[in-house]
Amino acid sequence: MNSRRQLFTGLAALAATIVIFVLPFLFIFLTAAKTKQDASLLTFTLPQQWQLWQNFMDVVSARDYMLLLAYFNSTVITVAAVALLVLFGAMVGYVLQRRPSRWNTLIFACVMIGLMVPPAVVPTIWVLQWLDLFKTRTGMVLIQIAYGLAFAVLLFRSFIATIPRDLDEAAIIDGAKPWQIFFRVILPLLKPVTVTVIVVQSIAIFNDFTNPLYYLPGRENVTVQLTLYNFQSQFGTEFNLLFMNILLVTIPPLIVFIFFNRQIVAGMTAGAVKG
Amino acid sequence: MARVVLENICKSFGSVDIMKGISLTVEDGEFCVFVGPSGCGKSTLLRMISGLETVSSGRILIDGEDVTYAEPSRRGIAMVFQSYALYPHLTVRENIGFGLSLARRPKAEIEERVGKIAETLQLSHLLDRKPKALSGGQRQRVAIGRAIIRDPKVFLFDEPLSNLDAALRSQMRVELTDLHAKLKATMIYVTHDQVEAMTMADKIVVLNGGRIEQVGAPMTLYNEPASPFVAGFIGSPKMNLYDGDAAAREGCMVYGIRPEHISLSATDGKWRGTVRHIERLGADLIAHLTVDGLGDLVARCPGDTPMVIGETLFASPVAGKEHKFERGAIG
Ligand SMILES: Nc1ncnc2c1ncn2[C@@H]1O[C@H](COP(=O)(O)OP(=O)(O)O)[C@@H](O)[C@H]1O
Ligand SMILES: [Mg+2]
Repeated sequence: MNSRRQLFTGLAALAATIVIFVLPFLFIFLTAAKTKQDASLLTFTLPQQWQLWQNFMDVVSARDYMLLLAYFNSTVITVAAVALLVLFGAMVGYVLQRRPSRWNTLIFACVMIGLMVPPAVVPTIWVLQWLDLFKTRTGMVLIQIAYGLAFAVLLFRSFIATIPRDLDEAAIIDGAKPWQIFFRVILPLLKPVTVTVIVVQSIAIFNDFTNPLYYLPGRENVTVQLTLYNFQSQFGTEFNLLFMNILLVTIPPLIVFIFFNRQIVAGMTAGAVKG
Repeated sequence: MARVVLENICKSFGSVDIMKGISLTVEDGEFCVFVGPSGCGKSTLLRMISGLETVSSGRILIDGEDVTYAEPSRRGIAMVFQSYALYPHLTVRENIGFGLSLARRPKAEIEERVGKIAETLQLSHLLDRKPKALSGGQRQRVAIGRAIIRDPKVFLFDEPLSNLDAALRSQMRVELTDLHAKLKATMIYVTHDQVEAMTMADKIVVLNGGRIEQVGAPMTLYNEPASPFVAGFIGSPKMNLYDGDAAAREGCMVYGIRPEHISLSATDGKWRGTVRHIERLGADLIAHLTVDGLGDLVARCPGDTPMVIGETLFASPVAGKEHKFERGAIG
């Protein structure tokens, strides 16, 4: 009785997953393999003529191999921003959780504001220009860190609250300096949240379309999401190439997700259960 | 000479005074137990000695050196926590050697010292496990190993046995006493369990409400408790304590008699009472009586004493074993 019901709900969930996630992906894949005329119909059919490789080469070599440059830029920005996010998020979370001081309320308020108040684009550009960071990858990395830090700090802080303070104290007695406590005792224990932050933020940053559009103009600064513009124009979109481009752009986050999939949920709930 | 001297230690958290002027000397090589009810400030006092907590006023001397404001790692102490506080991501080997690796000692030296300590603590076969894969007693031993490797002048223990089951606890009590005999180091041990205090201590310090009630050898506290509080705290079952009229009849403020110092008789005695409850422990029998003009009285007698509930018995104190306090109240 019970197992039958479980089977049924399981199948329903599976069906929903297929409709929501697998079908669109299949559509992208099929369209990416079609010819230009075939693709422009936007039908969910097998390609009349498979030209996956041809489309792939066209997309990669389009506009002087712009996609490769975009991959390079996006990877540099994502890796740098995520690495610093993890480091700063963990450090701020640690200090906020472990060292009560008068500043904590203020810092915590800032974190909350960072989470709630939407960023204003034009003033941010002024600041970047003033710092000579506008149109630079460094500027883009800093922006991504600023946008992601509040979330990372909150996650790290609540996780650190579940690590007994005795561990810090044992390390103090063993002669650890504060930075040694952080790097040798606390940071290794943060693995579950760290994985969560890495996955969530790297996918968000890699997939970011609007922020690079605002803060990183210029042909040499192109990021992967912006290459989607390559095949859309006033005079007709080349759907086969656009979808091939989408396919190529989707793969890296997908790999990250499949690779870390199991740890993400652990990290998300780890803080919650133990309170 | 790792003598620990506390001079008039006070501690307040905000406006709450937790320690109210503690002065104490723990002699070199002594096993000193701080005992007292939960929340009386035992852990706070221990943490002030370790340096994890600052003192509000007063001085701490270890080995003749004023360490009141010294870093914990420079005081020559090692601490074993109630939760063991083992580093979960490190193996037993790395846990024990953590302090040495922080101090950047050569690998070979760390390996050798960890190996030696693991052997004394019978941990050699567990060196590559993580704490998660150890039993409570084994974790306890790793925590002790981590303390020993620091080669401290003073060992500090904060309720190290309270997470273990009863059988393991009595085994660990013996192991800790052996360890003390072997290392001959000064040890300060915190517990709320008077049995642990009585069985292990050279010297017991009874704390209550941030003050020292009494300091002395276990048998001194048992035989000559300075206050009703100490009298009630040391010994099991608890001493029978009476105040008010019952005490006034004996000519004191608080009158006390231990259960084991009461003789029961079917025919005559000082007090007349009825048996309300009987606990048979095998070798011993604990009788709870309701005594006219006194209230509840607990007596301990040999296990084979015939007795039934509701029976009328006469109880008398053993001569010279009565405690009459001129001051204090029943805690
Ligand atoms: N960090 C702290 N801030 C405020 N009060 C504390 C703090 N640590 C301990 N206390 C208080 O000090 C008292 C003694 O605590 P503690 O030393 O842990 O007692 P014990 O170990 O004897 O059970 C308790 O009333 C506790 O609430
Ligand atoms: Mg305590």
